[in-house]
Amino acid sequence: MRVNPNFTADMVNLMDQAQQSENNAAQQLSTGRRVTQPSDDPAADSAMVNENSRSAAVDQYTANSDSVTDVLNTADSTLSSVTTLLQRAVTLGVEGANGTMNQTDLNSIAAQVSDIKTQMLSLANASYAGQYLFAGTATGTAPYVADAANPNQVDYVGNSKQNKVQIGTGLSVTTNLPGSSIFSQPNANVFDALQSLVTALQSGDTAGIATAETSVNTSLNAVDTAQVFYGSTVDELTSNESFLSQEKLNITTYQNTLVSADLATAATNATQAQAVLTATVAAAAQLDQQVNLLTYLH
Amino acid sequence: MGLTSDLNVSVQSLMASTQAMDVTTTNIANANTPGYARRTVDFEETAPVGTDGSTGVDVAAIQSMRDTVLDLSIDAATSQQNMSNTVASSLSAVQTQFSDTASGSIGSSLDSFFSSLQQLSTNPADSSLRTSVLTTAGNLASSFQSTASAITQAQQQSDQAVVQATGDANSLLQQIAATNAQINTAQSLGQSDNSFQDQLSNQLTQLSAIIDFKTVNSSDGLTLTTANGSPLVVGGKAYALTNSTTSSGFNDVYAGGVDITGDIQGGTLGGDIQTRDQTLATMNTQLDQLAFQFAGAVNNVQAAGSDANGNAGAALFNPPDTTTGTATGAASSIAVALTSGSQLAAAASGGASGDNTNLANMINLQNQSIINGNTPTDAFSNLTFSIGNTISQATSSATATGNIVTQLQNQQGSVEGVSLDEESSNLVLYERSYQAAAKVISTVDTLMGNLLDMGVTNPGY
Repeated sequence: MRVNPNFTADMVNLMDQAQQSENNAAQQLSTGRRVTQPSDDPAADSAMVNENSRSAAVDQYTANSDSVTDVLNTADSTLSSVTTLLQRAVTLGVEGANGTMNQTDLNSIAAQVSDIKTQMLSLANASYAGQYLFAGTATGTAPYVADAANPNQVDYVGNSKQNKVQIGTGLSVTTNLPGSSIFSQPNANVFDALQSLVTALQSGDTAGIATAETSVNTSLNAVDTAQVFYGSTVDELTSNESFLSQEKLNITTYQNTLVSADLATAATNATQAQAVLTATVAAAAQLDQQVNLLTYLH
Repeated sequence: MGLTSDLNVSVQSLMASTQAMDVTTTNIANANTPGYARRTVDFEETAPVGTDGSTGVDVAAIQSMRDTVLDLSIDAATSQQNMSNTVASSLSAVQTQFSDTASGSIGSSLDSFFSSLQQLSTNPADSSLRTSVLTTAGNLASSFQSTASAITQAQQQSDQAVVQATGDANSLLQQIAATNAQINTAQSLGQSDNSFQDQLSNQLTQLSAIIDFKTVNSSDGLTLTTANGSPLVVGGKAYALTNSTTSSGFNDVYAGGVDITGDIQGGTLGGDIQTRDQTLATMNTQLDQLAFQFAGAVNNVQAAGSDANGNAGAALFNPPDTTTGTATGAASSIAVALTSGSQLAAAASGGASGDNTNLANMINLQNQSIINGNTPTDAFSNLTFSIGNTISQATSSATATGNIVTQLQNQQGSVEGVSLDEESSNLVLYERSYQAAAKVISTVDTLMGNLLDMGVTNPGY
């Protein structure tokens, strides 16, 4: 049976394939990836697009958490200062209500309570990064202002809206408490209570002082209860962060299974391809020198 | 009978051997000529002279060992291989736009855009965060434009290749027609057409790399047609292919006034046409859809909220709205229409400056099926799969048909290929044959001399 006397095309084809194998193995080793373009593995590469998106989202949830935590912590420590002040006001009120003080002393206490009220206004108008913390969503304007007609009255000019921020897929946290839920709650208005104490002290009305002290105490408890929101939200964000880390790890692991080269396999393939290429080239060279009949005829 | 007939027979033998050596020489000289099929010599016994005369030898025919069916099979496989290779290589530049490692891809720009919206939601009044959103939106628009541009460029390159290939095909068709005419002439004169057949085979192989064709043998010789029957070469006449520019600006291919563009299924021409008119055209449409519907959805959310100045949100992207515009060209023209971050409608309609309600709606677009039933990222991921898969399949196909071509070429070589060993041994055979015949002549000469000398008293020798 006659065979093809011209083996060159075969040799070229084999050398091409061996070279291609070697190139592929070398690329895997140098990039560490089995898949560097869609045609390498269309399913894996397109899945990577989705995984990259999920990974970016998780990174952003973490960043969101960090930003929100900063704001919440600032608000929380502000409210701690508020409750400290209110406790001081309660103590002053108890002092003034014991009936043993003269009007001069009562006036002196009234002045201290008035001071507290001024500081309270400043704390209620606290801001972070240029935005007021207790104004609802009207964060561009100070939420508590002195009433135009009655300067001793403090009005709330913020709103009662709350923002949410995403910290996970389908998971959000509320990020603010409006002042109307802290300082100026119905029947527990910090400013009204403090002002009533000042007025009562200045008038020397013992029964009135006692009543005012009670209302300051009530507003203190109301602020205390409201403050819980901040601490518990920060706790929620903290425990969520560890979940986010785990999710990020899961995504990264999955991405590696999708596109990473098994370096041991790639190294073996590279060595093998090199060997095949060398052998093929040597064989081609050998066959080229093959003697034929012509050399024997004379 | 007789010395004279012996002489004549021997002379015939010399000539036959000489002719055979000619064929051997031709084979050896053309061992590497493309399209050449080795030739063998058919000897036959000549008619005897008289009733008992010696018979001589004649070269009945010089046979070409060509296997036309095998040749055409190789051409068909070559056609397919070239088409697959062309598809894979013409798309390779476009797929870099979709690589998940490309930092400027549409997919990663979408991720950055939504991240910037998320960051803004933690502090909607922050002007630098607002500006960041416009920046990421601008990068997204650039990504769309860049991908659209890559697709258009690849289409244009394929288009240029179509025009070039049409010209190349035409020059081959001319050559084939001329060769056909020479074959017809040789056959009508009873002469050998082997060389012309070899040339024809070579020309057909070259043509098959460009376009797929069908062949029919008729009384006119070889008739060459396109896959759908439009004539390319009939006898000695070539029917040139022409190009005609369509409304899209691309060149179609016509054969004899018939548009054969969509019927070309092989060769580089088939590959470039498929890339240009199918794969890339579809990608372009889908990309435009993605850009258009995404922009429209974002713009709608903008319109439903209030910006930092208390106004209803203006369109973030152009083309603006889905009711008046069409998707065509959206990916290449998409751009950010807002000039200031304050124009972003983060708040719900009528909301205060720190309200982020509307931002949540914009952020949620990322996971909504707003692009023909897919989320934006899924739509992009699908495009990535699509182009990767097309190239991958074309590459596999090219390798597979390449192996078939090699296998067929081996078969062809075994039938048509010149073996130097074989030719060398034939050369020895014919040489000895010649020597033997020459010996006979020399012997006859001696005998004739003896004959002539009979009755001569004093021979001169």
